[in-house]
Amino acid sequence: MTTIIDVCPLSELLPGQKRLVRWEDLEIGVFNCAGTVYAIEDRCTHDDGPLVEGEFNEAACTVECPRHGSLFDLTTGKPKTLPAYVPVDTFDVIIEHDTIKLEVE
Amino acid sequence: MATPETAVPVAPVLTDNQKLRGINADYTERYGFHDAENYLYKAPKGLTRELVAKISEFKSEPQWMRDFRLKALDHFLARPMPTWGSPMLAEVDFDDIHYFVRASERSERSWDDVPEDVKKTFDRLGIPEAERKFLSGVGAQYESEVVYHQVNESLEKQGVIFTDMDTALREHEDLLREYFATIIPPNDNKLASLNSAVWSGGSFVYVPPGVHVEMPLQAYFRINTESMGQFERTLIIADEGSYVHYVEGCTAPTYSSSSLHSAVVELVAKPSARIRYTTVQNWSTNVFNLVTKRAIAETDATVEWVDCNLGSKLTMKYPSVYLMGERAHGEILSIAFAGADQHQDAGGKIVHVAPNTTSNIFAKSISKDGGRGSYRGLLEIAKGAHGSRSKVVCDALLLDEQSRSDTYPTIRIDNDDVNVGHEATVSKVGDDQLFYLMSHGISEEEASKLIVNGFIEPITKELPMEYAVEMNRLIELQMEGSIG
Repeated sequence: MTTIIDVCPLSELLPGQKRLVRWEDLEIGVFNCAGTVYAIEDRCTHDDGPLVEGEFNEAACTVECPRHGSLFDLTTGKPKTLPAYVPVDTFDVIIEHDTIKLEVE
Repeated sequence: MATPETAVPVAPVLTDNQKLRGINADYTERYGFHDAENYLYKAPKGLTRELVAKISEFKSEPQWMRDFRLKALDHFLARPMPTWGSPMLAEVDFDDIHYFVRASERSERSWDDVPEDVKKTFDRLGIPEAERKFLSGVGAQYESEVVYHQVNESLEKQGVIFTDMDTALREHEDLLREYFATIIPPNDNKLASLNSAVWSGGSFVYVPPGVHVEMPLQAYFRINTESMGQFERTLIIADEGSYVHYVEGCTAPTYSSSSLHSAVVELVAKPSARIRYTTVQNWSTNVFNLVTKRAIAETDATVEWVDCNLGSKLTMKYPSVYLMGERAHGEILSIAFAGADQHQDAGGKIVHVAPNTTSNIFAKSISKDGGRGSYRGLLEIAKGAHGSRSKVVCDALLLDEQSRSDTYPTIRIDNDDVNVGHEATVSKVGDDQLFYLMSHGISEEEASKLIVNGFIEPITKELPMEYAVEMNRLIELQMEGSIG
């Protein structure tokens, strides 16, 4: 069942900023790439690395796993480099009344 | 998911009066010589941020590469040394290494322009002669940098690029940047981080769509000075439907202090392309050889690693293939000789990502005079890789009771529609085999040679002829005067 959760006011996640959101047993990384917000599961598919702790490249809209360096495309969740080869889960982002919301299941 | 790990016990094989001469018994006279050091620059021992920046400055690199190096250095410094593998790893002293030595102004396209001492070395190693006889192109690296690089003119006209990595960064920056460190990121592991920080030299190969490079391209790596660190980086891109065979060899003088060779090799086989990468590693026995090699094979592509490890003090190297496209094929043929005071920790990894992909890993090791040969491998079949097939065979031959063989095969399967086979054997040169052959009028020494040759034949037959001949010569030498 789809649930919509609030993350934060848009003004609290400016372009280039990121944050971790917890919902039930899920950890989700939320990233603002030049004004567009993306959300991915905060778990590298290679070795469970915490992606939000990795280097966020706003211009390229990627995040680098701090554990072994796989680079993930935040727009699709797909790895752009090895050693990860499985995409991370992505979540639909809704901006409503200047609030960032996520669709989770 | 199954992760078996077996340690194969030591088995007594030959009696004391059957001791074999060491492989590479003539190493000193053939490869162990060294030249006077007429260097343009030799970094003092030790790794610093300043040195990393200086290497980048020496090479007039773009800012992104300088940043890449410095970030990799941070990764290297932050990571602990691996605790798995070999206890010998603890002996690596990163403060006792020269990280950059420049022997020549630039990479030349004529041997006549290579500094005299350096040219003499490569003459002695037979590289120019081999180039004339049976190669499409040659790269020769001496210490930190490539001193000679040449590729067949007709290949060049077809758009084949075969150059050293430093030149590639200057002349083909966009192409290099598209693939560089995408297969092995700088923080993949501690040694890859080190290489990413201080890399220098290595080969860059690009083969355009549909082009078949019929004769091999070869690179030869030579260490000359003591306590040297060599950190070449190689990137090979075979575009759609192309074929290339790349061969690398290496040697060094024997010193009492240790040297370090830590390379990163990335291969990209685009759809229907085929890359064969052959290594004949023959470092002197004071060299730590800690290398990361990885390939991706796209749809219908094939990548083959033929990996022969004869030399070094410790080798830890597991060439891998990620089968990313449907029907891609990966092949790893690994052979290792572990003599006195040597540990060859070799093997390979295959990851089946796409459906209907196939792979084989054949690994053979021969241990003698107290040497240790380890097979360490990974076979992984991802959830979506249905219809995939793989076979892993690892065999070990022990030639005396002091030697040791271990097998660490890991198999992970996340799909039930696959076919996977795994076999492992440990054998010895047994009395019954010797007796059988001797009963046909063959001497004991010849019989032993036949058994060893038969054991490694599946690998040597995959080598280019000149290397197969060299391998057989080494085996002959090993067995010479060994019995009775």
